[in-house]
Amino acid sequence: MRLTVAAEWLNSCAGCEMSLLNMGEDFIACLRILSFVHMPMLIDHKYFEPMGEKIGFEFPEADLGIISGGIRNEEHLAIAEEMRRKCRVIVAIGTCATHGGIPALINMFSNDELFRRYYRTTVATDAADTPAVVVPPLLDRTYALDEKIRVDVHLPGCPPHPDHISAVLTALMNGEQPRLPTKSVCDTCPARREGKGAVQKMRRYTRNPRHQADKPLTEMKCLLENGLLCMGPVTRAGCAGEKGEAPQCIRARVPCRGCYGPVQKNGNQLLDMLNALASNGIDIRNLPDRQAFLRFSGAHGRLNRPGWKTRDRQQEETAGPESR
Amino acid sequence: MTFEPKILAFTCNWCAYAAADLAGTARMQYPTNIRVVRVMCSGMVHPNLVMEAFQHGADGVLVMGCHPGECHYQDGNVKARARMIVVDQMIESLGLAPERFRLFWCSSAEADRFVSAVSEMTDRVRRLGPSPYHQGVGLSGETKEDLECASR
Repeated sequence: MRLTVAAEWLNSCAGCEMSLLNMGEDFIACLRILSFVHMPMLIDHKYFEPMGEKIGFEFPEADLGIISGGIRNEEHLAIAEEMRRKCRVIVAIGTCATHGGIPALINMFSNDELFRRYYRTTVATDAADTPAVVVPPLLDRTYALDEKIRVDVHLPGCPPHPDHISAVLTALMNGEQPRLPTKSVCDTCPARREGKGAVQKMRRYTRNPRHQADKPLTEMKCLLENGLLCMGPVTRAGCAGEKGEAPQCIRARVPCRGCYGPVQKNGNQLLDMLNALASNGIDIRNLPDRQAFLRFSGAHGRLNRPGWKTRDRQQEETAGPESR
Repeated sequence: MTFEPKILAFTCNWCAYAAADLAGTARMQYPTNIRVVRVMCSGMVHPNLVMEAFQHGADGVLVMGCHPGECHYQDGNVKARARMIVVDQMIESLGLAPERFRLFWCSSAEADRFVSAVSEMTDRVRRLGPSPYHQGVGLSGETKEDLECASR
């Protein structure tokens, strides 16, 4: 029996779809069983008429729905909800879908600020009005998929390693629960760890670590112990693939940037990283790039606009002095 | 009806919990707003525990340990102090006033100090009003949705 698959991309960059195609021979094997009935990147069939010829979407039903990207505007939301209605199992693929990803960095700004910045105050272009026709209206912020629809399988990664996309597809084809890495990047990292406590001050991840490029990775000193902000301890393992030598950034001898999101589904990379650093005697009050700890996991209300901070105060003010 | 806050206290087994115990046996009076959780050392309290307490509606959280230099495990309270800076930094991202959280030292003999800390914290939180996460507080729909998202 062939399984039908519908794939959609929302607020994303097509990197996850590329990773799917990068499965190589596994993908050919999957195609014997999987039949793609909808995938805008590969199959061009008019399913949405923004100019009003048709109303809404025409989606085929499918056993498996693969969605990459988070939800940023009303079109994304409508597509995601329609996918949920038409597919039996929804797989959120990529960190944008599972935790907001890079696009969720916009959650630090309001839509007004965004439009002012890009339509009215850039130096290189003439000022213009905020587009109002044809383009779908934005939601107030970027949402991860599971904030808006029920998601059955979460597959983080930026992009997810083809090995794990393959593992998920294979497991679902066999009616099993997919098994994905559950440990942290450090767990798959070959760098040499000497012990805690030696580092007092952290440097930005963009600085160069001290290492000898001609020596193998197993002789490179842990980048965190080098004093570089490496997100390894609080980031889900997986970028090394099933048989990889090392996490991908470590292989390039630069610190992990945290692209697989938190180790546990509901973890908070910022909180966990600050805790890890503080527990090892590093002064976290003067860290460089603090917000960047949530670079890939800013949805679920993790990254907020500065105005959010005063909510307790606002309540206090509106309640007035009588209630005290 | 005056607002009665719910305050969660993580107290270390060797000092603060013993102080609470002493306050009890000495029949000292203090507000009943506090809920005590005994932990072996203040240094084992992960900032996540404190944040989770707030997300589940605690109006205030106290972490109490031995005086610096008097830790049963030598430097657990020093670790606690370092870790609780994380709470100080993250609490505003939950939309809460930093005054809702306090780290406090008291030895096992200082029952009076425990009592005054609890009374002071209760007064302070009562002045601040219910936490936005507190159930039954009239929040606008949007705010409620935001909070639910933040607490996930």
